[in-house]
Amino acid sequence: MAARVTLQGVNLHFGGVKVLRDVSFDVEPGSVFGLVGPNGAGKTSLFNCISGHYRPSSGSIRIDGTEVRGSRPSHMASFGLARTFQHPALQLRETVLENVMLGAHTRLRGGPVAWSLRLPHVVRAEKELRGEALRLLEENGLGWAAHRRADELSHGLHKGVELCRALMMRPGLLLLDEPAAGLPHSEVEQLIDTVRRLRAESDVTIIIVEHHMGLIAALTDRVVVLDHGAKLMEGTAAEAQSDPRVIEAYIGKDEADAAS
Amino acid sequence: MSNLLKKPAVRWGALVVLVALAVVLPLMLPEVANDTIARICVFAVAVLGLNVVMGYGGQVSLGQIFFLGLGSYVTAYGATNDWNIVLTFLAALVLPAIAGLVIALAAARLGGLAIAMVTIALPIVGLPLARRLDHWTGGSQGLSSRFSDAPEWTGLYHDQWQLYIVLVIAVVTFVLVRNFVRGKFGRALAIVKENEAVASSMGISPYWYKVLSFTIASMVGGISGFMYMSVVQYTSPETLAFHHSITLLAAMVVGGSATLAGSVIGGVYFVFVPVLTNAINPNLTAMLQGAILLLVLFLLPGGLASLPRRIAGLRRSSGSRPGAPPREEAATRAVQKAASKQPTRKADQ
Repeated sequence: MAARVTLQGVNLHFGGVKVLRDVSFDVEPGSVFGLVGPNGAGKTSLFNCISGHYRPSSGSIRIDGTEVRGSRPSHMASFGLARTFQHPALQLRETVLENVMLGAHTRLRGGPVAWSLRLPHVVRAEKELRGEALRLLEENGLGWAAHRRADELSHGLHKGVELCRALMMRPGLLLLDEPAAGLPHSEVEQLIDTVRRLRAESDVTIIIVEHHMGLIAALTDRVVVLDHGAKLMEGTAAEAQSDPRVIEAYIGKDEADAAS
Repeated sequence: MSNLLKKPAVRWGALVVLVALAVVLPLMLPEVANDTIARICVFAVAVLGLNVVMGYGGQVSLGQIFFLGLGSYVTAYGATNDWNIVLTFLAALVLPAIAGLVIALAAARLGGLAIAMVTIALPIVGLPLARRLDHWTGGSQGLSSRFSDAPEWTGLYHDQWQLYIVLVIAVVTFVLVRNFVRGKFGRALAIVKENEAVASSMGISPYWYKVLSFTIASMVGGISGFMYMSVVQYTSPETLAFHHSITLLAAMVVGGSATLAGSVIGGVYFVFVPVLTNAINPNLTAMLQGAILLLVLFLLPGGLASLPRRIAGLRRSSGSRPGAPPREEAATRAVQKAASKQPTRKADQ
């Protein structure tokens, strides 16, 4: 079920460094939301706040109305949150299939005793999950790689596997951290198709951190532009691209004046 | 070869042959051989426990021998006080597990090397404690019990009966641990070891999984303590001396961490290598053991258990399909690991 995300006055300090200042926005359920901004603007930090890896100094983060600020990251899956990382951390020596199945961890019932004894319901659940993971890989064009070891695959394919792993969690809120970073043009096109399909077929809210403006423009309903940890503007991708403040943040004031 | 092993018929056939061997061999072998195999079983299980927390769980534990010692003392105490044998076994399994749980609850919270530090303390504290608590432990004299002598009705010699006991316990323990380290819990332990940020984003609490793996390792250590008492029939403070813990660790590394076969090889190492090095030159025992450890670490970082895969890899890379050499693999893994930790450790400057 697609989740609504509401941030109100989120601040994040590391000692004296203010990484995020008073960031507020609202993400509609089922929409694709972009977080953009120059390097070091605090986009990934904001992601880490939402996913519980950082604890904001103040402010509120709500998922479907439930306050999640201060929850442990391992607890966030229970709010339907799944995320990817800038550098996909896969189990390189395991098969792609095993990597994807990890995503279903919280959906598997049974404690250590049941799993050590291989009780019938545990075996059945594992088998069903294997089928589900295979189908998911097929749908994302990675079916051929299911039984390969992850380290035999390219960086771009790792990102695809990581996305499948996140989708195995059946998230209501999916955070994608620079999904297009390091991908060649053709694979970015593929990624755009994948996210579009996700949006059409699954009931999920997606937030994307990305530098690739083409991808942001193609996918997002709304964007928030961050600069030096503060919200610069909010609107559609087209509005952001033509906003003089955004241009200034990206290329600097003098150059922006010269350009105009 | 590996394809052949995948066929169910071949697997079942191999299993039947192995079971038949396990039943027949103890009856045919001389006493000293039976005794040696039984000791290998004991330490293979101890190494298996260490593998759960360290090989699979990625937590450095230097105190595994403490749990073996605790298990052996509980067994000896139970046997000398005429407890029911099943009850004694359960106590030798549950008490170390509880001890492990309590230690892990505190140590895993501290993170980093805390578990390693705390586990160093275990045998160091355990040894004088075993001497002092002489009411329970018999002090420096230790405890002996002949509870595992063969009953009359079996018509077996003691060594045969003892070997059957430890074989059954070892096989059952290995099967249960094998099941545990695959599937849901295996995947969770592996990702906690690899990258805690990713683990927690999957809804896996690194803390609880560290506690779980440490508790199970302690329990398996306790089981090996029961087996030790069944075979040796005597335990003393010397059983849980710190240097045995280091030898267990070396045995795990030489055998191959995070593998079941490696645990068996580790058991063989633990029993044979000290004897072997002693036979070569008693003055050089420690040095020779160190040399073996270094040699394996340099030539086969995955331990002896990785030898077949390594040979297969070499054969493949000399053929048409290039296979990545393991060393390069490890390097890329380290880089990936460091890189993936960046976004969560550091501020987005």
